[in-house]
Amino acid sequence: MSLLEIIAGIFEGFRVTATVTALGLLYAIPFAFVAGVLQHFLPGVRRVLVTTVIEFWRSSPVIVLLFVFYYSLPAFGVRMSAMTVASLVLGLNIGGYGSQAVRAALQALPHGQVEAGLALGLQRWTILLLIELPQALRSMVPTFMNQLIQLIKGTALVSLITLTDMTYRAKELAQVEYNPVGIYSGLLIAYLIICYPVTVLGRSIEQRASYAESKHREF
Amino acid sequence: MIENLTGTVEITDLDKWYGDFHALRRISLSVADGERIVICGPSGSGKSTLIRCVNQLETHQKGKVSVGGLELKPGAGNLAPIRRQIGMVFQQFNLFPHLSVLGNCTLALTRAKKMPRTEAEALAMENLEKVRIPDQARKYPAQLSGGQQQRVAIARALCMQPKVMLFDEPTSALDPEMIKEVLDVMSALAKDGMTMICVTHEMGFAREVADRIVFMDEGMVIEEATPDVFFSNPRNDRTKKFLSQILH
Amino acid sequence: MNFDLEFAISTAPLILSAFFTTIWVTVVSSIGAALLGFTWEILRRLNRPLRSLMRFVIDAIRSTPLLVQIYFLYFVLPYYGVTLPALVVGVFALSIYYSGYLAEVFKAGIDAIDSGQFEAAKALGIGRADTIFLVILPQMLRNIAAPMGNYFISLLKATPYLAVIAVPEMFGSALDIASETFRYAEPVLVAGLIFLALAVAIAQAVKGLEQRLLASSKR
Repeated sequence: MSLLEIIAGIFEGFRVTATVTALGLLYAIPFAFVAGVLQHFLPGVRRVLVTTVIEFWRSSPVIVLLFVFYYSLPAFGVRMSAMTVASLVLGLNIGGYGSQAVRAALQALPHGQVEAGLALGLQRWTILLLIELPQALRSMVPTFMNQLIQLIKGTALVSLITLTDMTYRAKELAQVEYNPVGIYSGLLIAYLIICYPVTVLGRSIEQRASYAESKHREF
Repeated sequence: MIENLTGTVEITDLDKWYGDFHALRRISLSVADGERIVICGPSGSGKSTLIRCVNQLETHQKGKVSVGGLELKPGAGNLAPIRRQIGMVFQQFNLFPHLSVLGNCTLALTRAKKMPRTEAEALAMENLEKVRIPDQARKYPAQLSGGQQQRVAIARALCMQPKVMLFDEPTSALDPEMIKEVLDVMSALAKDGMTMICVTHEMGFAREVADRIVFMDEGMVIEEATPDVFFSNPRNDRTKKFLSQILH
Repeated sequence: MNFDLEFAISTAPLILSAFFTTIWVTVVSSIGAALLGFTWEILRRLNRPLRSLMRFVIDAIRSTPLLVQIYFLYFVLPYYGVTLPALVVGVFALSIYYSGYLAEVFKAGIDAIDSGQFEAAKALGIGRADTIFLVILPQMLRNIAAPMGNYFISLLKATPYLAVIAVPEMFGSALDIASETFRYAEPVLVAGLIFLALAVAIAQAVKGLEQRLLASSKR
């Protein structure tokens, strides 16, 4: 098999890789915003509760979580499909990191912004939605791009719980033909094709953001 | 009914602590409808804290604050509607950087007052003309000078058609050459009969515009007088010392 | 299959006995990642062609999954006659993967130093080597200590990846038990709980360290 044929074979798993990524985002984005905003807002015990949930998803190794959810939870009667486990675990793990970007961006805003909104007689949630979040969003974008790359790369793990993603396809090919150099180079290239543009895009957004910020500060 | 408030402000026996620090000590102050008050005093005297208690950006622990006869209680549910009747201008402008000048002026009109967009924009333009900056309506705050930003902030507050305007050191963050344009706008506002409470170090403005000057130190009202009496014949030693420092 | 608590408890000592392998791998890989990352960053600053090349290398390392990098090293090296113990391959993979991130940390650390520092050193007649080691490096280390520490913690949490090439760290030991007994639920869950406990312990340690640093900087 030529390298091109190998890469084409690997991309037969693209649909699974893309599906896990997309479903993962469906968990990650709402979780990041809800948890980040709650952590920013809530006082006392309820805040500690939110923090605990975030830290659980953030601080456990994602490969271990994946195995626990796939192999251990059924013993307690909780049965989920491999796809559900994969998107849930990868998504909430990334969402946990994302929530910290949301919280940090909200906390970095000058407090005068909220005060100006209050002084105009706006309700607190209107201020969050129309004044705080639109501004915070800008500083979150670079982090979110990085998290997106982490999520895409993380999907390689789903090959370990029987999902036929790109990594799984590569291992299948490796069983058909002894050509480790071609197959694993092809696999690296396949992920590079997907992730490298995101990396470069993220870098340029980051630079533009820091440029805009320095312009702002100058004023 | 809240819409028909008058501009009277009544502060009675107000006490505020930050932890152990006694920031405001039994402050009483009444401001009649249409009256212009200037509050001055050394930094840390509590003047900003006092003015921020009027619209409850700071909460007090004891005493009463009411505007137009309606009491503002810490954590009360009706704060937002009352605040719409009280305009505030901040030292740091606090314009919303992600919104244009027009967007800054119309946000609360369309969101809090549910005013149709065209009507809100007309009202905004009217007030931008009042602060002499209608040509900048489509620009963003970062494209304006400090003086222009502060005038936009005044227009934004005026759009809510407040009964009282609070100014919290509105010229302290400005370069010297921009102070006048902001003070001119404030003077014009005073002539129109707006009830105003201004925390400021601009003694020229105080002398010209204020009906009464309130001098504060260490969280207390030390002296309250008309500008004539305040500048020519202050009674308290602390007032004298402050005036000698600020007027050179 | 029901959850067998007794069996689960019996797996704990076996998994914990691999604790030192996990730590050992973490420490050696951290050092390797820091050295490699520093090398990338120095190369990036040497000249223009190297700069473009190294930027691509660093981005490529960051754009491919750790799992795939592990497979690549593990299956490709023997093809060229290089047979290394899985443990060594694992350390190599972790070092390379994290070197991409640490290079960026070093970059930010150097960029953050005020150019006035170089000028001041020049004006005082301090030599070039002394400037680097006595003026720049100490400041850089202070700038990068926190992000570098975060990546070392992240590396620790990535050690269970090495289970896929049968490195006997904690998660690998858990999977060993699982494949010997045909029971996955218990050892996997125990490993998960151990890693969770480890994460909590690290979080507490970091908090303590931060407070001590904060106190010492106030003094």
